[in-house]
Amino acid sequence: MLRLKLCLALLSIPLAIYPQSADSDNQAELIRALRERIDQLERRMAQMESALAAGTSPVRAKPETKLEAPKEAVAHMGGAEHPMGTAPPGEPSTYPSLKIAGFSDFDFASTDQHGVKSGFNEGQFVLHLNSNLSQKVTVLGEISLTARTDPGIGSPPAAGFNVEVERSIIRFEQNDYFKISFGRYHTPINYWNTEFHHGQWLQTTISRPEMVQFGGKFIPVHFVGALVEGAVPFGGLNLNYNVGLGNGRGTIISRAGDFGDNNNNRAWLVNLFAKPDHPFGLRFGASVYRDKITPAAGLNAREWIQSGHIVWQKENPEFIAEFANITHETIAGRAATFNSQAWYVQVGYRLPGIAVLWKPYYRFEYIHIPKSDPIFLGVPGLAGSVVGLRYDISSFAALKLEYRNQWRPDQVRVNGIFAQTSFTF
Amino acid sequence: MSTVSKLAAVAMLSLSLAAAPSDVAVVVRADTPVDNLSFADVRKLFMGDRQYWTSNLRVTLLIREPAARERDVVVKTLYGMTEAQFRQYWISKIFRLEASIGPKIVYSSDMAAELVTAVPGAVTFMDSSVVPKSLKILKIDSRLPGEKGYRLH
Repeated sequence: MLRLKLCLALLSIPLAIYPQSADSDNQAELIRALRERIDQLERRMAQMESALAAGTSPVRAKPETKLEAPKEAVAHMGGAEHPMGTAPPGEPSTYPSLKIAGFSDFDFASTDQHGVKSGFNEGQFVLHLNSNLSQKVTVLGEISLTARTDPGIGSPPAAGFNVEVERSIIRFEQNDYFKISFGRYHTPINYWNTEFHHGQWLQTTISRPEMVQFGGKFIPVHFVGALVEGAVPFGGLNLNYNVGLGNGRGTIISRAGDFGDNNNNRAWLVNLFAKPDHPFGLRFGASVYRDKITPAAGLNAREWIQSGHIVWQKENPEFIAEFANITHETIAGRAATFNSQAWYVQVGYRLPGIAVLWKPYYRFEYIHIPKSDPIFLGVPGLAGSVVGLRYDISSFAALKLEYRNQWRPDQVRVNGIFAQTSFTF
Repeated sequence: MSTVSKLAAVAMLSLSLAAAPSDVAVVVRADTPVDNLSFADVRKLFMGDRQYWTSNLRVTLLIREPAARERDVVVKTLYGMTEAQFRQYWISKIFRLEASIGPKIVYSSDMAAELVTAVPGAVTFMDSSVVPKSLKILKIDSRLPGEKGYRLH
């Protein structure tokens, strides 16, 4: 009978493995685990045989005492399915427990814009570091390396890549309802900015919407300060909040005040969003952001940002729509008020059946900026379409092909073809 | 009975068992301060939107390895995702710092049961027919596995 059980264990191996043969990423890990399991079963059988020989009951009693977890056979989600590091089950026994992951992409671009060269370029190389310092304290770092346009020029010669600390956050969690953190964030007043960060692979498209473009001036992409966040018990609405206080925009308004606030006037923000139980997949929210900005001596303005988003967080279909209005009230010299708006709508659809790896998508975006706004001087408006196709090569890499048509005020319409392979590792 | 006959019988038995799977139970340690959850609450739990049972007891998710039937049921029914979407979901959730740690993977029901016993706050899902008596099966919308209207199967 014992031999029969061993046969059962061995026979079950190919049956267990076969259904996932298509998922080659996990086969080696699974086979290793199954082998360990077989070893455990064989040891258990040996014990049972010994027990039988000794005339005692072969039935294995469930242990009553607290068990030690089989550490060698259990991996953290990231460890087994994504190289985010490994951790034993339960709370990590040692702190800090650093895990590292990365995102990167390689691109090809070709446009009919006069004076712009076609060709390949290396996208951002992003390292993501996550470490638990205790059960309730977590640190996150996100570092990007971006190719420069002027390597080897200057004295000393410029390096080939710019290094940037995109996010650096330490967070203390009391419970689901109250978490407080300090650091450099992606400003949580925009869905795209906080959903995809610098992970090109995570987003369906190649390009980000212009309103949250890296290095762009429309939305303050980064925020340096403190953030309180959490969930609010509110029935099935599943309300979440972020309340932040920070430095706001720096003298270069596309950058956060990393070194300090340039006008001794803190920015604050409130963000509320809901993910209702029904319909499952819907998310919507709204934000308010307030700051006083000083981009140049003698030029001060109050900045109000109101934004909102509605998202269907699935892929059949995918739907993302965002809107933001930015009001600048100049408070030096002649007082004036300027309102700029930006919005976009993106739809995608993961094809069914054998075409499930393919996902066509389309996005329309629009930006209106008054030419007389002194804060956004030189920032162009935009009306543009993006249509593309994403193909997921594996669970962790994708190929994307995209056509863009963009019109800016007082400029010639530009068409372009873009390709990208993006991945996480 | 010859060895070949025994193997054939075992194979038939395996297939017949596979053809009639039990409901999938959500299982916690006996001292976990919860007995009944709504389906939406179970979804929040496994999607990492609820990470604490109480302020002093963190939820530790244990999930089965890819291709396990219990995992398929949970990924499709609770998450409403494919396996690839499920992986991307957790990578992006950790990337956004919405969760500091993702689910841990277990490779058998025995292993899941042992870890739930060993780790305070751990929750897993397993075939309801193999849940040890020492563990607590959570009701979902006041229904236990096997009862009419139970949704995880």
